[in-house]
Amino acid sequence: MTNQVKVQRAIHNITQDDLAKEIGVSRQTINSIEKNRYVPSTILALKLSRKFNVTVNELFNLEDADG
Amino acid sequence: MNSESLMDCERRNVEKLKRFQLPNYFKKIGLGLLLVSLVAIFLNKYLFEQDGLRILFRYGMLLGLLFIAISKEKLEDELIAQLRLQSYSIAFVLGVLYSLAAPFIAYGVDLLQSKEAVIKELGDFTVLWMLLIFQVVYFETLKRMHK
Repeated sequence: MTNQVKVQRAIHNITQDDLAKEIGVSRQTINSIEKNRYVPSTILALKLSRKFNVTVNELFNLEDADG
Repeated sequence: MNSESLMDCERRNVEKLKRFQLPNYFKKIGLGLLLVSLVAIFLNKYLFEQDGLRILFRYGMLLGLLFIAISKEKLEDELIAQLRLQSYSIAFVLGVLYSLAAPFIAYGVDLLQSKEAVIKELGDFTVLWMLLIFQVVYFETLKRMHK
Protein backbone atom coordinates (compact mmCIF):
# COMPACT_ATOMS: atom_id res chain seq x y z
CA MET A 1 0.00 0.00 0.00
CA THR A 2 1.26 3.47 -0.83
CA ASN A 3 0.08 6.74 0.60
CA GLN A 4 0.05 10.45 -0.06
CA VAL A 5 0.51 11.59 3.53
CA LYS A 6 3.86 13.24 2.87
CA VAL A 7 2.50 14.99 -0.24
CA GLN A 8 -0.59 16.21 1.63
CA ARG A 9 1.58 17.36 4.50
CA ALA A 10 3.67 19.40 2.07
CA ILE A 11 0.52 20.85 0.44
CA HIS A 12 -0.83 21.88 3.86
CA ASN A 13 2.66 23.01 4.98
CA ILE A 14 2.54 21.09 8.25
CA THR A 15 5.36 19.27 10.04
CA GLN A 16 5.23 15.62 11.13
CA ASP A 17 5.29 16.77 14.73
CA ASP A 18 2.36 19.17 14.34
CA LEU A 19 0.31 16.61 12.41
CA ALA A 20 1.04 13.99 15.07
CA LYS A 21 -0.10 16.32 17.84
CA GLU A 22 -3.28 17.25 15.99
CA ILE A 23 -4.43 13.67 15.53
CA GLY A 24 -3.09 12.35 18.84
CA VAL A 25 -0.28 10.01 17.80
CA SER A 26 3.51 10.16 18.03
CA ARG A 27 5.77 11.71 15.37
CA GLN A 28 7.26 8.24 14.89
CA THR A 29 3.85 6.92 13.85
CA ILE A 30 3.49 9.59 11.15
CA ASN A 31 7.05 8.94 9.98
CA SER A 32 6.44 5.17 9.82
CA ILE A 33 3.22 5.68 7.81
CA GLU A 34 4.99 7.99 5.34
CA LYS A 35 7.78 5.46 4.86
CA ASN A 36 5.24 2.64 4.36
CA ARG A 37 6.58 0.79 7.38
CA TYR A 38 3.26 0.92 9.19
CA VAL A 39 -0.29 0.56 7.91
CA PRO A 40 -2.59 2.69 10.09
CA SER A 41 -5.92 1.56 11.51
CA THR A 42 -9.17 2.64 9.86
CA ILE A 43 -9.71 5.20 12.61
CA LEU A 44 -6.31 6.79 12.07
CA ALA A 45 -6.76 6.72 8.27
CA LEU A 46 -10.10 8.52 8.67
CA LYS A 47 -8.55 11.10 11.00
CA LEU A 48 -5.78 11.76 8.47
CA SER A 49 -8.22 12.05 5.56
CA ARG A 50 -10.43 14.42 7.57
CA LYS A 51 -7.42 16.55 8.49
CA PHE A 52 -6.33 16.85 4.83
CA ASN A 53 -9.91 17.14 3.57
CA VAL A 54 -9.53 14.26 1.09
CA THR A 55 -11.09 10.80 0.96
CA VAL A 56 -9.30 7.76 2.41
CA ASN A 57 -8.98 6.39 -1.14
CA GLU A 58 -7.20 9.54 -2.25
CA LEU A 59 -4.79 9.26 0.67
CA PHE A 60 -4.11 5.51 0.54
CA ASN A 61 -3.72 3.36 -2.57
CA LEU A 62 -3.68 -0.40 -2.87
CA GLU A 63 -0.87 -1.99 -4.90
CA ASP A 64 -0.86 -5.25 -6.86
CA ALA A 65 1.16 -6.84 -4.07
CA ASP A 66 -1.75 -6.22 -1.64
CA GLY A 67 -3.84 -8.76 -3.55
CA MET B 1 -28.33 -12.04 36.97
CA ASN B 2 -29.15 -13.67 33.62
CA SER B 3 -26.62 -15.34 31.34
CA GLU B 4 -26.42 -12.34 28.99
CA SER B 5 -25.47 -9.87 31.72
CA LEU B 6 -22.99 -12.43 33.10
CA MET B 7 -21.34 -12.60 29.68
CA ASP B 8 -21.30 -8.79 29.43
CA CYS B 9 -19.68 -8.59 32.84
CA GLU B 10 -17.07 -11.19 31.82
CA ARG B 11 -16.42 -9.35 28.55
CA ARG B 12 -15.91 -6.07 30.42
CA ASN B 13 -13.46 -7.74 32.81
CA VAL B 14 -11.49 -9.28 29.93
CA GLU B 15 -11.37 -5.88 28.19
CA LYS B 16 -10.08 -4.25 31.39
CA LEU B 17 -7.41 -6.96 31.73
CA LYS B 18 -6.41 -6.55 28.06
CA ARG B 19 -5.85 -2.84 28.54
CA PHE B 20 -4.10 -3.08 31.90
CA GLN B 21 -0.83 -1.18 31.97
CA LEU B 22 1.12 0.60 34.68
CA PRO B 23 1.73 4.37 34.44
CA ASN B 24 4.88 5.53 32.60
CA TYR B 25 6.79 6.36 35.81
CA PHE B 26 6.88 2.63 36.63
CA LYS B 27 9.55 2.32 33.91
CA LYS B 28 11.93 4.31 36.10
CA ILE B 29 10.86 2.43 39.25
CA GLY B 30 11.42 -0.87 37.40
CA LEU B 31 14.84 0.19 36.12
CA GLY B 32 15.86 1.31 39.62
CA LEU B 33 14.62 -1.93 41.16
CA LEU B 34 16.45 -3.95 38.49
CA LEU B 35 19.77 -2.12 38.97
CA VAL B 36 19.61 -2.22 42.78
CA SER B 37 18.76 -5.94 42.70
CA LEU B 38 21.61 -6.64 40.23
CA VAL B 39 24.15 -4.86 42.43
CA ALA B 40 22.73 -6.55 45.55
CA ILE B 41 22.92 -10.00 43.98
CA PHE B 42 26.63 -9.49 43.18
CA LEU B 43 27.32 -8.16 46.67
CA ASN B 44 25.50 -11.15 48.15
CA LYS B 45 27.51 -13.55 46.01
CA TYR B 46 30.87 -12.27 47.25
CA LEU B 47 30.05 -10.88 50.73
CA PHE B 48 27.02 -12.37 52.44
CA GLU B 49 26.49 -15.65 50.57
CA GLN B 50 22.93 -16.13 51.85
CA ASP B 51 20.45 -18.19 49.81
CA GLY B 52 17.45 -16.32 51.22
CA LEU B 53 18.83 -12.96 50.08
CA ARG B 54 19.73 -14.36 46.66
CA ILE B 55 16.11 -15.45 46.10
CA LEU B 56 14.83 -12.07 47.33
CA PHE B 57 17.12 -10.14 44.94
CA ARG B 58 16.17 -12.42 42.06
CA TYR B 59 12.52 -11.58 42.75
CA GLY B 60 13.55 -7.90 42.70
CA MET B 61 15.15 -8.32 39.27
CA LEU B 62 12.07 -10.06 37.84
CA LEU B 63 9.71 -7.50 39.35
CA GLY B 64 11.84 -4.66 37.97
CA LEU B 65 11.78 -6.14 34.47
CA LEU B 66 8.04 -6.78 34.74
CA PHE B 67 7.43 -3.13 35.68
CA ILE B 68 9.47 -2.03 32.63
CA ALA B 69 7.60 -4.47 30.37
CA ILE B 70 4.04 -3.53 31.38
CA SER B 71 4.34 0.21 31.92
CA LYS B 72 2.99 2.67 29.37
CA GLU B 73 5.08 4.74 26.98
CA LYS B 74 4.86 8.53 27.30
CA LEU B 75 2.56 8.51 24.27
CA GLU B 76 0.81 5.19 23.91
CA ASP B 77 -0.62 5.10 20.37
CA GLU B 78 -1.60 2.35 17.94
CA LEU B 79 1.92 1.91 16.52
CA ILE B 80 3.31 1.35 20.02
CA ALA B 81 0.49 -1.12 20.74
CA GLN B 82 1.40 -3.08 17.61
CA LEU B 83 5.14 -3.06 18.42
CA ARG B 84 4.36 -4.23 21.96
CA LEU B 85 2.28 -7.11 20.59
CA GLN B 86 5.10 -8.10 18.20
CA SER B 87 7.62 -8.00 21.05
CA TYR B 88 5.43 -10.30 23.19
CA SER B 89 5.06 -12.83 20.40
CA ILE B 90 8.78 -12.90 19.54
CA ALA B 91 9.69 -13.10 23.26
CA PHE B 92 7.36 -16.08 23.64
CA VAL B 93 8.92 -17.94 20.68
CA LEU B 94 12.52 -17.08 21.64
CA GLY B 95 11.81 -17.97 25.28
CA VAL B 96 10.51 -21.41 24.36
CA LEU B 97 13.41 -22.03 21.94
CA TYR B 98 15.91 -20.94 24.59
CA SER B 99 14.29 -23.19 27.22
CA LEU B 100 14.47 -26.15 24.83
CA ALA B 101 18.02 -25.54 23.60
CA ALA B 102 19.85 -24.26 26.70
CA PRO B 103 20.04 -27.61 28.63
CA PHE B 104 21.58 -29.32 25.59
CA ILE B 105 24.04 -26.49 24.94
CA ALA B 106 25.11 -26.61 28.60
CA TYR B 107 25.44 -30.41 28.29
CA GLY B 108 27.61 -30.03 25.15
CA VAL B 109 29.83 -27.42 26.82
CA ASP B 110 30.30 -29.71 29.85
CA LEU B 111 31.22 -32.58 27.53
CA LEU B 112 33.79 -30.44 25.67
CA GLN B 113 35.33 -29.38 28.97
CA SER B 114 35.50 -33.07 29.98
CA LYS B 115 33.33 -32.41 33.01
CA GLU B 116 30.69 -34.80 34.27
CA ALA B 117 27.89 -33.98 31.82
CA VAL B 118 24.26 -34.22 32.91
CA ILE B 119 21.23 -32.71 31.16
CA LYS B 120 19.68 -30.29 33.65
CA GLU B 121 16.34 -28.51 33.30
CA LEU B 122 16.31 -24.72 33.39
CA GLY B 123 15.00 -23.16 36.58
CA ASP B 124 11.85 -21.03 36.61
CA PHE B 125 13.92 -17.90 37.33
CA THR B 126 16.02 -18.36 34.17
CA VAL B 127 12.97 -18.95 31.96
CA LEU B 128 11.12 -15.90 33.32
CA TRP B 129 14.26 -13.75 33.15
CA MET B 130 14.88 -14.69 29.52
CA LEU B 131 11.21 -14.11 28.53
CA LEU B 132 11.21 -10.65 30.09
CA ILE B 133 14.65 -9.72 28.72
CA PHE B 134 13.64 -10.82 25.19
CA GLN B 135 10.43 -8.77 25.41
CA VAL B 136 12.03 -5.59 26.75
CA VAL B 137 15.04 -5.70 24.39
CA TYR B 138 12.97 -6.55 21.31
CA PHE B 139 10.40 -3.85 22.10
CA GLU B 140 13.14 -1.21 22.47
CA THR B 141 14.74 -2.42 19.20
CA LEU B 142 11.42 -2.14 17.34
CA LYS B 143 10.86 1.36 18.73
CA ARG B 144 14.35 2.41 17.56
CA MET B 145 13.63 0.99 14.09
CA HIS B 146 10.52 3.20 13.82
CA LYS B 147 12.19 6.46 14.87
